[in-house]
This record gives sequence, structure tokens and C-alpha cells, in this order.
Amino acid sequence: MSTPFPSALLEQFDAIRRRYPPEMKTSLVLPLLHCVQDAQGHVTEADAVTIAGYIGMPAIQVVEALTWYSMFDREPQGRYVIKVCRNIACSLRGSERVVAHLQKKLGIGVGETTADGRFTLRTVECLASCGTAPAMQVNRTYHEQLDEAKLDRILEALP
Amino acid sequence: MSTSTIKVTIDQHEIEARPGETVLQVARRHGIDIPHFCYHDKLSISGNCRICLVKVNGLPKLQPACNLGCAPNMVIETAVEQVQQARENVLQFLLVNHPVDCGICDKAGECRLQDYQHLYGPKQSIARDPKHHKRKLYDLGPRITLDNERCILCSRCVRFTREISGSNALGIVERGNHSYVEAEVPGRFDDPYSDNVTEICPTGALLSKDFLYKCRVWFLQPVRSVCTGCARGCSIKVWRRSAVRQQHMPGTDSAHVAYRTTVFENAEINGPWLCNKGYDQHKWMARERLLEPLVRGRAGTVAEALAEAKRLLESARNPAVLVSSHASNEELDVLQSLLGGVAVYVHRDWLPVEGEVVEDHLLIRADKNPNRAGVVARFGEREFDATAGHDVVLAWGEFAGAPPGAAHWIHLSLFGTPAEVPATVVIPVSNTWERRGTFTNFEGKLNAFEQVFERPAGVQHAADVLRSLAS
Amino acid sequence: MNGTVFQTFPITATSHTLGEYRARGGYAGLGQALREWTPAQVGERAKASGLQGRGGAGFMTGLKWEFVSKDAPVVYLCCNIDEGEPGTFKDRWILEHSPHQLIEGMLIASYALRVRHAFAYIRGEFDLPLRRLEAALQEAYAAGLVGENILGSGFSCDIVVHRGAGAYVCGEESSLINSLEGKKGFPRNKPPFPAVRGLYQKPTVVNNVETLATVPWIMVHGPEAYAAIGVKKSPGTRLFGVSGHVERPGLFERPTGYPLAQLIHEDAGGILGGRKLKAVIPGGSSTPILTAAEIETVTLDPESMTRAGSMVGSGAVIVIAEGTCMVRLLQVLSRFYAHESCGQCTPCREGTDWMNRILERVIAGQGTPADLATLRRLPTGIQGNTVCALGDAASMPVASFMKKFGEEFEHYVTHGRSVHDGRLAP
Repeated sequence: MSTPFPSALLEQFDAIRRRYPPEMKTSLVLPLLHCVQDAQGHVTEADAVTIAGYIGMPAIQVVEALTWYSMFDREPQGRYVIKVCRNIACSLRGSERVVAHLQKKLGIGVGETTADGRFTLRTVECLASCGTAPAMQVNRTYHEQLDEAKLDRILEALP
Repeated sequence: MSTSTIKVTIDQHEIEARPGETVLQVARRHGIDIPHFCYHDKLSISGNCRICLVKVNGLPKLQPACNLGCAPNMVIETAVEQVQQARENVLQFLLVNHPVDCGICDKAGECRLQDYQHLYGPKQSIARDPKHHKRKLYDLGPRITLDNERCILCSRCVRFTREISGSNALGIVERGNHSYVEAEVPGRFDDPYSDNVTEICPTGALLSKDFLYKCRVWFLQPVRSVCTGCARGCSIKVWRRSAVRQQHMPGTDSAHVAYRTTVFENAEINGPWLCNKGYDQHKWMARERLLEPLVRGRAGTVAEALAEAKRLLESARNPAVLVSSHASNEELDVLQSLLGGVAVYVHRDWLPVEGEVVEDHLLIRADKNPNRAGVVARFGEREFDATAGHDVVLAWGEFAGAPPGAAHWIHLSLFGTPAEVPATVVIPVSNTWERRGTFTNFEGKLNAFEQVFERPAGVQHAADVLRSLAS
Repeated sequence: MNGTVFQTFPITATSHTLGEYRARGGYAGLGQALREWTPAQVGERAKASGLQGRGGAGFMTGLKWEFVSKDAPVVYLCCNIDEGEPGTFKDRWILEHSPHQLIEGMLIASYALRVRHAFAYIRGEFDLPLRRLEAALQEAYAAGLVGENILGSGFSCDIVVHRGAGAYVCGEESSLINSLEGKKGFPRNKPPFPAVRGLYQKPTVVNNVETLATVPWIMVHGPEAYAAIGVKKSPGTRLFGVSGHVERPGLFERPTGYPLAQLIHEDAGGILGGRKLKAVIPGGSSTPILTAAEIETVTLDPESMTRAGSMVGSGAVIVIAEGTCMVRLLQVLSRFYAHESCGQCTPCREGTDWMNRILERVIAGQGTPADLATLRRLPTGIQGNTVCALGDAASMPVASFMKKFGEEFEHYVTHGRSVHDGRLAP
């Protein structure tokens, strides 16, 4: 069961397809999943089936990719998804305090979304910001060398 | 006469490998057991279970035998401590989360994991953490139940649907320890070969819903037979209670029950595969059937039926015989020896029914009868001619209706109830499971079946009936 | 700016652009290679330099290139920008500040390997590195440096940027290849090796960013000049990253063979807050941990590291000060590996989760001596028995932490709490 995509999105699909050699059609799986994720904020299994139809490949393989890679959300998230690194260098430089501060400030736990749908708080693994730890991503933007004051400024500055 | 064979040594046995063979393949060919879960000789190499690890002299790490090509003078050890420990480790790892369901799991007694645990496993699990829970008794589809806890993620089922059946119906979703087997459309494992996954699954994760909880496999014995579903004539195993395991309880007739049908691996005809229609043969062969002869619509004795049939045939002006494509070669030989100049036509007992796969790339043939080739070889290809004015027809097999134009017909009935196909005389005859014999498949290959059950008392062997009618 | 290959220019708002890259000599190597040398000669120069892969495995780059058959009609090059080894942040620096250096290196490598389509597999989380790479590619295409008939040489090569989607294991070359094919990032059993059958079963070379970005320098200055830097068997410079409890975490380009203690105490400013050094993980989280005493004489090259019982890995030095709870720190890592295990093979899928759960229980005060015995045993059951090195990577921290800091684990089990106050950050 697949869901049709808006034509603007399909045009993006076409543009992505043109970037790859034609014999590499299954390589389109990740770029198209990203495309839908960026447009909608999440990708459902039905979307994965639609993508499979566009590419011309078995749907199960797109569903597998959707569920295996950690960057794809299968349900709608908050407007701003905050992803705090919890790996070793960030832990050594205070990531636990970052998480605690955000939990207190936003009133939610890790894995939860604020009632107004504005923020989702998550912990993630190494973002390759070890030299500028502790670090987090808000949607796609990196924020590094965090302390509580900086966290407050970042949150306030978000439109 | 040597093509270039490759000399390798496994556990001090010098053996010759063929070019391209892996260590696992050459070991199996020589009866050396290297345990393996994910390897299957008809599927691509996955190399994920890691229980086939062996020691190769000169290499520091153990190597998966399933992926290791034989090289000249390779020396392989499987009986050394390092390998034994590695096998035990794999089983320890599997035991961390595998539920020890053996007491309630259908697979017990024919479970590869259970077998390897006995042969190679640790005496006890060293894991202390509670096992992760996953879906149990999950309807993967209408025919298959899936227990994700028992699954060891060998991926044989997934590879089967991608490489053999082509349905692409199964996958493994999520990552790491959270992974689990799932159907592309949850609940709808849509694949005419779905039941093969229960055969190749090395644990009790994938089980037939039809067989679920019916009987312990060690009470059963398989009998080799041939599927009657189409002209491929795949070899099958029909499972009945073994002689020493008959139930002695009043009211049970388990002596005549076929509990399940599975594949009989036959390299000539079907390899290790069987379609779902084949897996359903025991249900098919348990259809309602006539158990006593009928004469002009009323129950009669065998003698009465034979007498009436003989009378009709002797007084016929233009008799004909319509021969079942389910008759065995042996029965056909009897008919051929008795015929004289009677007209003979080949009968297609079954045409494809709505919803069934007609023909495909793998096993299924459009001709839904097992022995048309046997009939044609002896009697030619003519189909019944309604304009030829046959007044009495000896109709042997299964019929949807009376042969057109015949005033009288004598039905040697394989299944079917009298209401469906009223004939002048009906004599029920034995089916494929009630005698031994052979079929010839569409490629001209001969395939043999053994007797599974005794025929019921009122049912005759067609060969005996034909001899009686001819005398 | 003390570097040789990378840190040779001040970082400004425009130092990553094509114009400034050219001003500092960029694309001269590509030009020379296309004009003066055959693909085979370029390969020989790479090999003669002694350059080793900078992703962590350290395999000789020129030798890896040689495994590709000269007669193969289609060859692919993949640049591995899936930088995910904890402690490592050098590849993103190259993309952010000198992306053209990578592009030039990819083009020279593609010329040597006769690659028509090269791929830059960049981890999905990266933001600025991706934007800088895409902008640089646009500039390069516009200038005729990428695409058809590069610099009029007749050599054509396209570079396709391909984003990953959040999986550490995709930094493993065969996992990267499967991911590029649109599948889950399951590593492949080897043989066959990617140079023989890789992307879509064609010969494929997967190289790290830093490796490829070093190639232009080698072309311009010559392989002998590169081979003369650092230690003989593993020459050149590396972008060492220092993180953790130091005053000045960051990237320091130094020659191989540089003293580890000097990197920590001088370049990185010593231990944060003037505390004492407790331990160092020298090459990314997957390398065995060393105590403060053990690093005194260690230099940053494979031979010295092997003698010390660890590895140079990705050159990511993680520094740990006194007072840090090693049990909790290990669980940070075990949690990571359990999260990242692809799930394909039995020892890693079950073993990483098992080790993590035991450590969780120990930290919750529910550990037993039997648990510690299991934790000592599991690494030997996993290491060497898995499809890829993630199993080894998960095992080595557990084995080395327990070996070097076993008494902290004993204490936790006996008393139900850390011997320190449990904090990881100062």
C-alpha cells in the first residue's frame, strides 16, 4: 500500500536520479528516503513502498533500509529535534549535564516531545565533534562547546 | 581423467576438492560434518551464523568454512580446541536470548539448533540477564506462524524469498539485537512457496500453522510419495504415525491420518523445494470421497457393481475408456494389457482452479495432473470425442460431470461424492497413497511413491477392477 | 599552521574556496599527473610514498590500489567520509577547510585507477562538511576540474556525493559499499575483497578522506619527500585529534612517530584543570586503553603502539584524568557498540548487547563476580570470530579496561558503587 507523493517531491526524486549512473538504481534508496524525511520530517513504511515503486525494486528492501538506519524517523517529530551526543569525548566534557539541563528546561525526558510539538529531545552517538565537545545537533545544525548559558541562548534564538 | 582438482586436508583426511568448492562443500561431500545454520547449498552464502568457523593452518583467525575457497595444500582442522570453543561460544551467544521452548515447540526432534546444542553446545548458559522478548505465535501470513524469539536471524528465509521464490516477501528489519524477520506486508506472507521456509528454518521460529501442535515429530514417520498437484510430480514425504506409535484409544483413527506433508529432496525433479499445494497434499488427500460402490444411485456390494458394469460393457456397441491422468504407470500397464480394441482417451482430471498459480519459473506446471505423460505414452493424446457416439464409457478418475453424449457411464471414482457426478455404476478406487507405483512427469522423468495407508474396505484397486471387468 | 600537508594555512571565511586553494598551489598535482604521468606511474608514486590508510586500518594505500585489475572495464572509487570512530574529527576538518584538497586527491586516485564515477560517501549527520563539499564540487565542475575531459586531458570523472543515514558500521568499507547499493550496511565476508568485487560487484577502492587528501601533496613534492617524513615504515604526517580531559582539545598535524605524551601535555595543553593523567585511548575508542604510566615512551606510529599493546587507529587520542570512573566510562562505549552492531552475525549481535547489559547492571549496583568473569571471557569469544572488525572494536575496550582497571570493577561489584564519585566530566 503506497502513498502518492506531491509532484514537487517527485521532481526532486528525478533530479536525484539524474545524479547517479543509470545502472545504479538501488543506490537511490538512501537519497530518496532523506528527501522524504527532509520534506515531511518523517518517513512512513507506506512512503518506503512508494519509493520502491518509483525506483522499481522490491519494497521490502526499502523498508529494511528505513528501519535499519537511525536517521530516519517513522513518526512525526517535534519541530526541532535536539540530538545530544552521549559518546565518550562528549561524556568526558559534560554531555550528561547538557542532557539534564535540556530535560529540565524543556520539561521532557529523552525520547520525548514537548506538548506544544516544538522540541524533541534525543541522545545520539558520536557526531565527530570530539574536539569541540560537548556537542549536539538541532535538526541539521551542529552546536558545539556547549554550556548551560549557550544552550539557553540557542533555544531562545530558534524561530 | 582429472580436471584440476584441489588437494586439501581436513582433520588429517586428504581429500580432493573441485575447482570453486568451499571447505564446507567439500567436507559435506565427504561426510565430514561442519555445523552450519545460515549456509544452504541452494542459497547465496551469508556467513553470518559463524558456527562453521574452522582452523586453517597458517592463518591466525578462524575462517568461516562456508565462504572459504579450497586452495592447494590447505590444511584444515575442525577437531581442535579452538574450533570446539568457537562452536560452543556461538551456541552460548544464541542461548542468551533464544527461549528454551523445546517442551512446547513443534521443531523439537528435528531442530538444527537443538541438535547442535547436543553435539557442540555448553552444558549451561552463562547469561544472567532476562531474555529479550519479541513476537511469539505471530501470523506471518495465513499459513506460517513466526516466533521472533526463537529466530537466530540466519536469513535463510529471507534469501529464499529473494533468490528462489522471487516473492521478495520477507526481510529483516531494525538493527543489531533488535532485528527481526518481518513480511513486506505484515500478516500477509504472500508466496506460493511460503511453506519452504519452515523446512529451511534451523529453529522453531517459522512453523506451519496447519501442523501446529498436532503431533510430536518423533511419533511420526515419513513415507516417500509424489505430489499429485501438477505434472512436475515433486517428491514429498507424507507423515503418518509410526507403527510403534499408534494410539490405542477408542474413537481415534490416527492410524489413517496424514499429519503433514513436507518436501522429499529429489535432485532430479524438485531439488529441496515444494510448492504450497504440495505442502497441502495431506489435506487434499483427506477430501470427502465415496467409500462404497453405487449402482443406479443406490448403495451396492462390490460384486453387484462389478456385475452391472460388466453387463453394460458387454452389451455396448461403441464402448470407450477415459483414462485418469492420476493413474499410476503400473495401473496403466494393466489397462493396456486388457484393452483389446476399445477406444481410449486421455482425461485431464484437474484444470487450474481460480486463484491458483498456473505456471511459474520454479516448479508449478499448468497441467494439474501428475501422470499425463504416462497415459499419453501408452494411449496417445486423444481427448474424449463426444461426437463419436460412445454409448458406454468407462470413466476412470475425477470428473466434474458426465462424459457428454454417453447413455451410460461406469465411474471408477478417485474422490467425489455421488451427488456431483451421477453415473450408472460408481466404484470407488484407491488413491495414490493406498498403493505403490510410479508417475512420469512432464519431462519424462520417472518418480516413485510408496504406500502410506491401507485402502478402506469398500474401495478397490483400479487394477483389480479392470481385471474383473475384462475377464 | 605547523602542518605539512593540511594545517598549512590560516583558517578564514574563504580559505576553503577554489581561488584560495589554487593560490596555495592547489590542483597543480592533478595537472601534473594528467600531463606527465600514466595512471600506472601515478599509482607507483602513491605506493613509493609509503602512504598508509588513515581511516584506522592503516593498510598501504598504493598496495590496495594495485589489487585492482588493470583490465577491469569498470572501477569505482569511494571516499569514506563516514567519520564515526569516537574521538575522531579530522575528516570533517578537511571538508570544512580544504574540500578541494579532497576533490583533487579523489581525481588523482581516479586517474590512477581508471575510475569514471567516484563517490563521496558522507555520513548523514554532517552539515557544514556536506555544504562545503557540495559548494567546492560546484566550483570544481565550473572550472572544468571535474566531469568530462578534465583540463583537456581526455580523462573524465564524475564525483557523486552520497549521504549516509546514521550508522557507524558504514565506515567499514564493505558495509559502505552495501550502503551505497541502497541496502542495509551489512559488512561482507571477505574474500572477495572490494578491489576484486565491490560496488555492484565491480572492482572498488574505498579510501579515507585524509588518505586521498594527502595524494596531491605526494604528487607535487614527490613520494620520496613524503617517505622521508616521520617513521620509515609508516611515513608522513597525520591529523591527530586530541579530546577529553585536556585544556586545548583539537587537531594537530604531526609527523608519525611523534611522542604521545608531548601531544597531550604540550600541544593539547595538558590535563584539564591541572589534574593528573589517568589513562589514554590512543587511536579512537576501539583501541586498547593505556595507563598514564604506559604512555610515557609511546610514539604515534604502528610499531611503538603495537609494543605498547594498542594501535594508532584513526589517530584519535582520548585523554582521561584522575577521578574518572572507568566502569561508567566503559559502559558509555559498550552502549555505543551495542547500538551500532549491524545485527548480522551472532557473536557481535548478541555479544555487544550482552556486554552492555552486564555493565548496566554493574553500574546499577547489581553486578556479581560471575559477571566480571563473563566480561573477561566475552571479548575472546567475539574477537576474530565476526564478519567485520566491529566485533573486535567492541571487544578491545572491554578487555583492556578490565585488564588495566580491574580493581575499579571489583570495587563496583563488591560495594555496589563507583570507587570515584561516578562523574565522567570534571
